[in-house]
Amino acid sequence: MDRAPNPAFYVLLICLVLMAVGPIWLMLATSLKLNVDIIQGTSALFFVPTLQNYETVLCDWLWYEPEHVRRCDRTFGRALVNSLIISSVSTAITLILGCMAAYALVRFRFMGRGVTSLTTLMVRMVPPAVLLVPVFGIWTFQYGLDGTRGGLILVYVAMNLPFVIWILQSFIVQVPVQLEEAARIDGAGPFRTFFLVVLPLIKPGLAAAAIFTFRIAWNEFLLANALSDRSTRTVPVVIVNSITEYSIDWGAIMATGMLLAVPPILFTLVASRQIITGMTAGAVKG
Amino acid sequence: MPQIVFDGVRKSFGPTEVLPPLDLTLEDGEFTVLVGPSGCGKSTTLRLLAGLETLSGGEIRFDDRRIDTLEPKERDIAMVFQDYALYPHMSVAKNMSFALRLARENKAEIERRVHAAATTLGIDHLLDRKPAALSGGQRQRVAMGRALVRDASVFLFDEPLSNLDAKLRARMRVELGEMRTRIDKNMVYVTHDQVEAMTLGDRIVVLKDGAIQQQGSAEELFENPVNRFVAGFIGSPTMNFLPATIQERDGALVAEGEGFALPLAGPRQAIESGAREVEIGIRPSSFTTDMGAGAPVELRVSVAEYLGAQSVLVTRCGPHEVLAEVASTRRFKPGETATFAVPPDAILLFDRETGRRLAVPQHPTGG
Repeated sequence: MDRAPNPAFYVLLICLVLMAVGPIWLMLATSLKLNVDIIQGTSALFFVPTLQNYETVLCDWLWYEPEHVRRCDRTFGRALVNSLIISSVSTAITLILGCMAAYALVRFRFMGRGVTSLTTLMVRMVPPAVLLVPVFGIWTFQYGLDGTRGGLILVYVAMNLPFVIWILQSFIVQVPVQLEEAARIDGAGPFRTFFLVVLPLIKPGLAAAAIFTFRIAWNEFLLANALSDRSTRTVPVVIVNSITEYSIDWGAIMATGMLLAVPPILFTLVASRQIITGMTAGAVKG
Repeated sequence: MPQIVFDGVRKSFGPTEVLPPLDLTLEDGEFTVLVGPSGCGKSTTLRLLAGLETLSGGEIRFDDRRIDTLEPKERDIAMVFQDYALYPHMSVAKNMSFALRLARENKAEIERRVHAAATTLGIDHLLDRKPAALSGGQRQRVAMGRALVRDASVFLFDEPLSNLDAKLRARMRVELGEMRTRIDKNMVYVTHDQVEAMTLGDRIVVLKDGAIQQQGSAEELFENPVNRFVAGFIGSPTMNFLPATIQERDGALVAEGEGFALPLAGPRQAIESGAREVEIGIRPSSFTTDMGAGAPVELRVSVAEYLGAQSVLVTRCGPHEVLAEVASTRRFKPGETATFAVPPDAILLFDRETGRRLAVPQHPTGG
């Protein structure tokens, strides 16, 4: 017997949906409005949608020159490229280092293994804001890494590595040791054993770690704001910087926000396809 | 196909010694079975040979070449693991060809060898499947095939049949036996199942606590066990052991215990002087209803297990439990007391303290 759910259930559901979708809808709607409509307030629901804001933001990459743009501001295009490079490179480095470190921590017996394993996690417990000042000082005065993409990549790798190591450890533990022994007998050295046998089996773990790392690097604001300069700013920093005392181009900001949301979504869609369970099924007798 | 020599091989894990110095020579082209109860060091021995564990002392040689310092891949060995250890992300064909691909064999040759091995094992229709889509028996075959495609000089088997059900195990045992005659290689096989050991091995090495108890052919081990452990381990159902005292009666030796008095006549019962308190060992199959064959023993049947042509009787002889395996032509009922004969020749004597077999088969020494 199906019991009709309590109406309050639907009310709650609608509230939750509004809370989740509302800001995104607001952002989308605003990004499609002219500044006149945005400021006016009365035309919140009725307006003529326009792509002008997107044209403003993407003016650099358009094949035509939008007539409303008097002077093309290249900031957003540059920031998008910076964000993409910094996020993907730091993700790649984090995964490469992370999977090897996790493998070593799981499989090799060495002195200080437990301590190493634990301290990696402790690094993760430190809030980025605490790191901000020392990192800024060291990056700027000691290594001169401020204002470079490399500097930001380095911080992101350091920040995400512990977590990635921990995720991957739990995946590597599940790979039966016998597989590696079989590979050794079959003539594989340690590296080929790792790359041909272990790595394919922890693909789901790599994907999960990649999604996580990419999103953190993509959205990170605090350190990026402190460490980047005009030419290396990432998108979140650019958005905030475009809010000035004299003008706030809400339309362009919202359009940038919409564009900012797209790459992580695409990345997650692609990466999450790799997350399948039961990778090691059939390897050894259950 | 080298002669494999273990020379004082030791292995300890931390303070625990799992393998006291082991000396063992496995002849060229032999099928050797290492058998023993779990924890006896047989798997460790195999893993040392494979190079998956490092030695704590001693050395292993193939002929005169020392190999214990070499990486597994340099030892020219193939191994079948107990729980298959198939690469789950590779198809059966890829699993079998993994070693060859690593060695950069040419493609046509790999294809040919994989197909040949797959045909031998009857898995050529499964080549495109992943291990997850195979049954236990099929996986076992793939694991076997992975070893077969390699032209290794030594094949190692680590309890390869222990995960299969009884019927499949019997079948694979026969197939292994057939394979053995076709492939003239050194094979080392580890098992805890004495049936596998007896049916497959040219040479059986019985291990206990890392020490070799006895080695030899199945017949040797069954007929002439050197101690109580081997006697009890080899043969099914297990040998009966009864405490007894050796007495001299009218110039003849008699083993007396609670509920029995068995004359010792054959040369196998000759004992060294001084050993009066002994344990006698009688195989269940030695009990016979043909009363002319030897001295009578009264056994009270408590359970009769009918197994077809043979029945195993769980009986009591005084305070001791005794197993007897007799032809099912005569059926016994629980509670019944029956008299069986034991041929004097079938009685083995063991030192009660050390478990050592007491036998000087040449000439009996009385008194």
